[in-house]
Amino acid sequence: MSIARAARESAPIFMSQVLSQVPNEAPSQVLSEVPSIRVAGIHKRFGPLEVLRGVSFDVPRGSVVSVIGASGSGKSTLLRCVNHLEPPDAGEIYIDGEPLGARVDARGNRKARSLAEINAMRRELGVVFQQFNLWPHMTVLGNVIEAPIRVRKLPRKEAVAYGEECLRRVRMIDKANEYPARLSGGQQQRAAIARALAMRPKAMLFDEATSSLDPELTDEVLGVMRELAADGTTMIVVTHEMSFAREVSDRVIFLHQGLVEEEGPPGDVFGAPKSERLQQFLSKYRKQ
Amino acid sequence: MSDALRQSLDLSMFWEYRAILLQGLIFNVLVFLCAASVALSVGLGAALLRINRLWPMRLIGTLHVEIFRNAPDYIMLVWVHFVLPLLIGIAIRRRVEFHPFTSAVIALGFVYSGYFAEGFRAGIQAIPQGNLDAGRSFGMSERLILWRIILPQVVRRMLPEALNLFVSMFKATTIVSLIAVPDLMYNVSMVIQQEMRPLPLYTGAAITYFLIIFALSVGVRHFSERWRRKILA
Repeated sequence: MSIARAARESAPIFMSQVLSQVPNEAPSQVLSEVPSIRVAGIHKRFGPLEVLRGVSFDVPRGSVVSVIGASGSGKSTLLRCVNHLEPPDAGEIYIDGEPLGARVDARGNRKARSLAEINAMRRELGVVFQQFNLWPHMTVLGNVIEAPIRVRKLPRKEAVAYGEECLRRVRMIDKANEYPARLSGGQQQRAAIARALAMRPKAMLFDEATSSLDPELTDEVLGVMRELAADGTTMIVVTHEMSFAREVSDRVIFLHQGLVEEEGPPGDVFGAPKSERLQQFLSKYRKQ
Repeated sequence: MSDALRQSLDLSMFWEYRAILLQGLIFNVLVFLCAASVALSVGLGAALLRINRLWPMRLIGTLHVEIFRNAPDYIMLVWVHFVLPLLIGIAIRRRVEFHPFTSAVIALGFVYSGYFAEGFRAGIQAIPQGNLDAGRSFGMSERLILWRIILPQVVRRMLPEALNLFVSMFKATTIVSLIAVPDLMYNVSMVIQQEMRPLPLYTGAAITYFLIIFALSVGVRHFSERWRRKILA
């Protein structure tokens, strides 16, 4: 076990430490070197439909990248490719410089990883789904501690302690023993965020986390996401919430027909969109 | 007529033979428990085959379900006890005989595995894909997902149906007397041959079965409903 990891697991948990950050390392120094997630030339087709046609971008450690675009532009597929829920047809995902779908040996030969290896890699990414996807037969706490116990092999006591810490962060500790069916959508989604955090992922992926919530419930979820961003969590956020993307992102990516049509800091993307597609897309949102 | 009625309601004879009858009942329970384990495990296997990605696997699963669901348990019992050993014997060129208990467990287990397979399959397919996606995204293996996410939900969903199947299955254990498994009905017949008093003994057996099955299903239904409601609220 690395010293950093040991420190992380034994030290009391502070907000900024919840994700795999090395405490005495200035994030900015690491940024330019190895990005937390590198998406390189991802292609994905479903039958005749080419959903992603070569998408590439980097997510530096501690930064928030938002992916925007119309329905059907490939946003959600892209996110599912990032953790190989949909294996990309071509291209590669790198987590801390390590390719997710394949291993490269000393001689530079590329060998596809087994499912077990991919599983071991993808647990480094915490996914929050549009439909929450909490397991209905487990309590909120049960959902949160399941993967840490079964996958990370954490002792139950430790998993519970850390799980409760995560539930406190999303203000769901008072619902720890409820079953998901008894919670509102917003509460379920916050529990789902806690469940992802409990795995101490290197990055969080949000797939339209507020799209199936009533407007009055989106704020409580966006609030939690805002706090995560402020704490230096590495995040990829697929979203329709333009003001949220503008406010929390370090970088915004506009997907159009399976390609990155435009990308840049939120000020540029929202303030001075260059491509016509993006201008059209944004004008629809302004009208609303 | 009134004499016959009086006789069938006078259960003192049934009570007199309680020890040997109880022994028979224990055999019913044993056959039931063993056959139920066979039915559940074989049924789960067949259900997993039926939803397999490869079509030959699906075909095997479907054949299994169709054959065993459409075979009367009585015929299956006789076939397994008298024909199957012959076939196996020809195949391995040795004389094979099944103990009646073994035949009973295999026959009932396989017949009911067809029903359980359908219950499992429907239950598994009713689970939203997102549940599985969530498990995979946290690095859970397919085996872990099956045991920790799919099956616990399937069991809850199929419980009412499974309960009915268990009740039918327990009832079906009464036919094992046909191949001389010394169960309650078998022992009742033995006593009847000796005492020549079929009415009270058959009535006693009927009442015994009724009470056991009724008590079991009321108890389990009460327990399972509360358990189910938690997740299906």
